[in-house]
Amino acid sequence: MVSIADPMGTVSIQSRLGLAPGTPPLVALRGVAKYFPGVIANEDVDLAIYPGEIHALLGENGAGKSTLMNILTGIYQADAGEILRDGETAEFSSPIDAIAAGIGMVHQHFKLVNAFTVAENVHLGWSQTPARISARTLEARTQKLSQDLGLTVNASARVSDLSTGEQQRVEILRVLARDAKVLILDEPTAVLTPAEARELFVALRAFTARGNAVIFISHKLDEVVEISNRVTILRGGRKVATEWTESCTEKSLAQMMVGREIVLNNLRERPKGATIGAPVLSLKDVSLKSHGAMLLKNVSLDLHAGEVLGIAGVAGNGQRELSHMLTGLAVPSSGQVHLDGVDVSMSGARAMAEAGVGHIPEDRLHAGMSPALSITDNTVLREYADAPLAQGPWYIPRQALHLAQEIAKLAEVMVPDFAMPARNLSGGNQQRLVARREMRIADKVLIAAYPSRGLDVGAINTMMHYFVELRDRGVAVILISEELEELVNLADRIAVMFHGEIMGIVPGEGVDIEDIGLMMGGRRNT
Amino acid sequence: MMSYRLQRLPAASPAVAFAARLVSVIAALATAGLILKLAGMEPLALGAKVISSTFGSSFGIADLALLFSPLLYCGLAVAIGMRVGVWNIGAEGQFNLGAFSAAGVGLFVAGPPVLILPLMVLAGMIGGALWILIPTLARAYAGVSELITTLLMNFVATLLVYFVATGPWLDSSGMALATTARLPVAIPEIWDIVHWGLPVALGLAVVLAIAFNYTKWGYEVRIGGSNPGNALYAGMPVRRHLIFVMLLSGALAGLGGVMEVAGTVHRLQGGISNNFGYIGIMVAVLARAAPLGVIVSALFMAVVLNGGIILQPQGLTTQTVLAVTGLILLYAAIGDEFARYRVLRTIQPQD
Amino acid sequence: MRVAVHAPFGIRKLCIPKEAKSPLEWAGTNSKEVSSMFSTKDLSRRGFLNMGAMAGAGALLSGTGLIRPASAASPLAPIAAEDALIAFGHTGPTSDEGWTWAHDQGMKAVEAAFPGIKTTFVESIPYSADATRIFRQFVSEGANMVFATSSYGDFLYDVAKRAPDVAFYECDGRAPLDNLGNYYVQHWYPSYVAGIAAGAMSASGKLGYIGSFPVPSVYSGTNAFLMGARTVNPEATLQTIIINSWFDPQAATQAGTALLDNGCDVLFGIMDEAGYLQVAQERGAKAVMWNTDLRRYGPDAYITSVMVDFKAFYVEQVRRRLEGTWTPTADLLPLSGGVDRDAWGATVPAEVAAKADMARTKMLTEGWNPFVGEIKDSKGNVKVAAGQAMTEQELYHWNWSVEGVFGLDS
Repeated sequence: MVSIADPMGTVSIQSRLGLAPGTPPLVALRGVAKYFPGVIANEDVDLAIYPGEIHALLGENGAGKSTLMNILTGIYQADAGEILRDGETAEFSSPIDAIAAGIGMVHQHFKLVNAFTVAENVHLGWSQTPARISARTLEARTQKLSQDLGLTVNASARVSDLSTGEQQRVEILRVLARDAKVLILDEPTAVLTPAEARELFVALRAFTARGNAVIFISHKLDEVVEISNRVTILRGGRKVATEWTESCTEKSLAQMMVGREIVLNNLRERPKGATIGAPVLSLKDVSLKSHGAMLLKNVSLDLHAGEVLGIAGVAGNGQRELSHMLTGLAVPSSGQVHLDGVDVSMSGARAMAEAGVGHIPEDRLHAGMSPALSITDNTVLREYADAPLAQGPWYIPRQALHLAQEIAKLAEVMVPDFAMPARNLSGGNQQRLVARREMRIADKVLIAAYPSRGLDVGAINTMMHYFVELRDRGVAVILISEELEELVNLADRIAVMFHGEIMGIVPGEGVDIEDIGLMMGGRRNT
Repeated sequence: MMSYRLQRLPAASPAVAFAARLVSVIAALATAGLILKLAGMEPLALGAKVISSTFGSSFGIADLALLFSPLLYCGLAVAIGMRVGVWNIGAEGQFNLGAFSAAGVGLFVAGPPVLILPLMVLAGMIGGALWILIPTLARAYAGVSELITTLLMNFVATLLVYFVATGPWLDSSGMALATTARLPVAIPEIWDIVHWGLPVALGLAVVLAIAFNYTKWGYEVRIGGSNPGNALYAGMPVRRHLIFVMLLSGALAGLGGVMEVAGTVHRLQGGISNNFGYIGIMVAVLARAAPLGVIVSALFMAVVLNGGIILQPQGLTTQTVLAVTGLILLYAAIGDEFARYRVLRTIQPQD
Repeated sequence: MRVAVHAPFGIRKLCIPKEAKSPLEWAGTNSKEVSSMFSTKDLSRRGFLNMGAMAGAGALLSGTGLIRPASAASPLAPIAAEDALIAFGHTGPTSDEGWTWAHDQGMKAVEAAFPGIKTTFVESIPYSADATRIFRQFVSEGANMVFATSSYGDFLYDVAKRAPDVAFYECDGRAPLDNLGNYYVQHWYPSYVAGIAAGAMSASGKLGYIGSFPVPSVYSGTNAFLMGARTVNPEATLQTIIINSWFDPQAATQAGTALLDNGCDVLFGIMDEAGYLQVAQERGAKAVMWNTDLRRYGPDAYITSVMVDFKAFYVEQVRRRLEGTWTPTADLLPLSGGVDRDAWGATVPAEVAAKADMARTKMLTEGWNPFVGEIKDSKGNVKVAAGQAMTEQELYHWNWSVEGVFGLDS
């Protein structure tokens, strides 16, 4: 195992962690790969977790962190590679095997029974739970565990009465009680107040000091720098690097996370005559509140005909709401949406589509398609009510089939049977059909949210060329993506979103990736 | 190394599904036959008896038609609910309410049949629709599952019919069972005791099939029922369609109740729904929610139920007949599930 | 000429005139009408209901001969025993040890009396359009005679109307046809006798009754029982619970429990099984049953039972059908001729039994009718004037509660 920070390998990992020479990692992954249909979730990943370390796992959404942890906890089986436990090959064919091997995970969403007490939750589904259970025995055992492990909990309290931080402590106690040596925490601080996060860190350090290890999944760079000994960065399912955290800065981590080896493949070149025109779609100081949360905050944007505007940011920072706002699926709490100078804030999705705004939604299977219905039904979604598919109140299936065949041909999707449910198509083919369907109606604007999510390189390339084609016809394209590479290659301007706000808009030409990374982390571009 | 494993497909091809259905019915009948044989009966003779009694006499065909008709109404009611992703477990209650409302008009509004009959039909359909109104609004505006609400409304409807038939509307001329007086008007008969309820139901099935497959409305309902998120994304009025179809479902079951009380039974009495609402769920499931499929599955269920009646004088107890009916449905469900699997032969490379 | 026959407690046959539409209409004739030209046109149900108030009514029903109309339906053709198929449609299971079991005994008696004939039966026929289907099935199987051992009303009537060559009988039936007769038992007499014992054995004077539906047999049963009880305990009352079923042991048990919880200490009912007897046994209360001897389910609680026996009736009717002399009848089997009280239970004191049996003997030997005015209904209206006796038809069609019976009249 050769560290990048220590290229000569002169100082071993063991000695830097204060371990005896030759101490094997508690658990290690070697050359692990996992493929899903059309998607590479993980490939050729190495990871070694040594006793006493807190190892951060860093990556964007979709970088392969969850899949990798699912392999480590026995939920998935790797398609290639092996798992080593204390230096010996191990096979985790189910989560039970992983727990038996001392690997436990605390998920972002707790798996506690709210109506049960802390003691009952800790003992639920545990082989060491005594056969005769009384509330008193369970609580006494829980109290003892709590003291031994240094995690203060009130054993008799009901989980529903606890704060999020306390619930998390119960989750951790539950995992540690089962003799976990490696504790995996999935974005543990996302639900915590800063004070609770500090308490957690103290508990984690105490845990590793006893010769255990923690895998800490996060994309908050400051925390990673504060807590971890080493950090492994994943991108696109592959390992980018494993570094000693002390030799990293937030900036260098951001760079590694978003990709320093972006292939410059400039798609901004336009044919003669294709120019950027007047604004077609504008957001004027738009805010969106829901259940007391500010999902969009004073967003103003002008989208010009014939331009590609990229939206960057970590997923969940208001991109979905922005796309809904632009397509009539959401009504702003304040501010206005203008299409060709007309206020369309209240028009609704159908009117926006009829006015020439196409929308490739981010969750294809929940919004973009009806997976259980036929390919024909799905392909004609935008034109079923127009001639020649409809006459008066009638819908003519024969005409619908013709249109579906036409769209499938343009999308270069081979469809054996148009009556087949759409879910039988691969993700890439579904996306091509949705994209082509939307391009047909996108006379003015196309909103594409994460269009390349889950697609392979070839399909992504096709998708990008679709957008180029539209742009050159004078259509305004908004490309929401977490793949900075795409944005840098295609977008004329890139806006970065953080917590529902636009941190800044920078030209795509010659953009500084580090700037983008910092804005994604919440720094405003001045 | 070669191994076999089962692969589950997202959907069965129509040919395979049909074959599976056929095989499962035959298997169920064979199992039932075996049980009867072990009990010392002659299964083949009994089977021949069912077929000859059902299709070989005008009595048999008329009885079949009278069972077929309410199953069609209830099957259609449940099926169109399934089209919008709704399980209308309450067809039983809506059927009762339809019968109740029609009987109320028939008993207490005087007038010529040409006026009273349409009024009864209207009242019954409104009664059925009202009975699903609360579950509909709860589902459309608060997301409350209609499974429980429609089911609970059934008990209320059943008891309401018992109450009026044994109380305020009781005709104390005396029977072993309390009923209202005989309705002065009846749905006209077309042949023997078969009345217009049946052709109307068949016509409705065809109209619904056309509406679902050949109208813009039908397309929108299809999308909204399969994936509401997709329909909202396309700007379709999902909630409006949901409310309309649920009320229509209730009205259809209610219409079934009208036909039953005014065409077949002629008096309102407790238990008038005869579980047709619940059997309608099976009918709709067997038909995969297709209106024309409901015609086939309702006929099939009618033959099974009528077969049960034919077999009772042969010395089979009601329990045995019910068990055979249940067996057929169970096998059909298993067959449907198996139709989605195919056997894969995989060859794993040796390391 | 039609003459009313009432050989006290012999089988009274009410043969139905061909032109009459229902026994209600028929029964509406009073003696004046009988003596004049018979006409069904002016007859109405109301006419019947008012009949009790008519002085001449008693004469009609307490005469000394068979009522036989001038133009009776012509008898159905005779049948050879080997061609005969006699069908029985039951409301409950033949294993109920009650009503249906008693009728099933009747079918067995028929089988024994006429070797070579075929019989068939269907149990647990619901009161729904399914009943029509089953009776039609009997007809298409070639049945010559169909007994519905409970009242199926229109469901049976519609079948009988379309099968004129088949003889039909409906127990507790109301609407006759040329080929549809009806029969029932004069259960009000043994109910009255049992009521005397119940009244004597009730400490609280609160009696309970588990009813099926608010139908005449429930009205006459409750009224007769309470009237019997009031002869020994004038303050006695009867609380009724209706469970909407003739055979629902669980509901009957719950209703029995509820009545005992409300202070009743003697239960009566019209159930086809022993559910509430077991409750009475457990709770140390008493119970009067129906149909059969059920004392083994509650030896301490058992007072007696309204016992029914249809064997002779069925054998007689099948004989007439085979001979070719059958025309429909309306029969009410009398005390000791198809219905009676059971032998008294072990805990019934001898003097109580003797007192009740005195009334029974008087009925049997003197033709004593205890249902004599003045009788008030539950709202206090005088329904039967002082000194006036209720007729068998009135008792059969009783549809109001006497004073002291609660839970039936709304």
